[in-house]
Amino acid sequence: MGRSGSSWFADAVRPVVTRGDARGYHPVEMTDAVLARLTRDGDESAFATLVDRHAGACLRFATRMLGTLEDAEEVTQDTFWRAHRALARYDDQLSFRTWLMSILINRCRTALLHRQRRTARVVVDDDAVEHATVPSTASDTELRDALERAVAQLEAGQREAFLLKHVELLSYDEMSGATGVGVSALKMRVQRACERLQDLLEDDRHA
Amino acid sequence: MRDPRVHDDELPEPLDRAVSLIRDEPPLRAEWRAAVLAGLPTHEIAPPPTPRRQWSLSPFAAIAAGIVCALAGAGATLIAVNAHVLATVAPLVTPTAMASASLHGPSSVRFALVAPTAVHVSIVGDFNRWNPAALPLKRSADGRTWEIEVPLLPGRYTYAFVVDGRLARDPVAPEAASDDFGIANSVVLVKGS
Repeated sequence: MGRSGSSWFADAVRPVVTRGDARGYHPVEMTDAVLARLTRDGDESAFATLVDRHAGACLRFATRMLGTLEDAEEVTQDTFWRAHRALARYDDQLSFRTWLMSILINRCRTALLHRQRRTARVVVDDDAVEHATVPSTASDTELRDALERAVAQLEAGQREAFLLKHVELLSYDEMSGATGVGVSALKMRVQRACERLQDLLEDDRHA
Repeated sequence: MRDPRVHDDELPEPLDRAVSLIRDEPPLRAEWRAAVLAGLPTHEIAPPPTPRRQWSLSPFAAIAAGIVCALAGAGATLIAVNAHVLATVAPLVTPTAMASASLHGPSSVRFALVAPTAVHVSIVGDFNRWNPAALPLKRSADGRTWEIEVPLLPGRYTYAFVVDGRLARDPVAPEAASDDFGIANSVVLVKGS
């Protein structure tokens, strides 16, 4: 009896814990600026979080600039090492992503300059296709592959500007800060890239 | 004429749909991530630079120095601006930067640039998606001035000239956009009547 009562009481007062994510709550994420500051103070796990947060976008950009995931991984790795060494110069009033991108853009430009072989670059990343969050129908797959081929044919400056604007979704001010190119010139490059891509997609559709 | 209210960030179909399909990030390989973190230098991050020692001045000396610097700066700017205008363009076109338009229709705004040695001049701006091929200027009868009239709805537009492939701001526009890190854009205000 007593045992039964005790058990009932214990059940009654046992807190019912609902996972925060089940309620729609999410733990507060540390900002990039805080993580950068922690890294400067010697917390390497903070830099690992920055890598996890930004490496995907860096690889996405570099893969399309250089043509292969292997080359992209190399310049992205170098980018993170350089960023780590230069973290003292990072102004945390600015976007960490944009600052990181400015280093990556320079690494990609250098890699393109030093590239010995110039071959047609068509990027179809099977892993990315598999992990795609956008439902892929047959026509979507064809459209995406056609765009990948078209982007690879753009002149490097136009490709850089187009990817930063419409894939990385940077503002023109951020692009200008990251590339060192004026806003007007960037707008023209993006415009020319869009026209060229439309032409190439149209050609591809009729091919 | 393109509606200026359409944002420059928008992409036409099917390009818009195609771009949405290539925004997925590639997955991180665990080996690559481990290599990145393993290769980080340890304890090599230099501390943020500390501010240099501030020299103290008496208030009178600081005020006097400020006045001298301001006068010198204003004089240098005046000389530079005059030299630039004289070297490139005569202040021929004043109404380009401010034009009036009906609330319900576009107004014809005349842009002009004096560039006697140029071979090709066009205009790019918010009103033509910064397309240098869309609006070429015509050389006027005097052979020195390039002109075009552009129908614009009321609004504020940033623009620049493209002179033989190089961007140049309108030297007689009264206002320049401050959001450019390279060549400053010019601004035209088209007011509704």
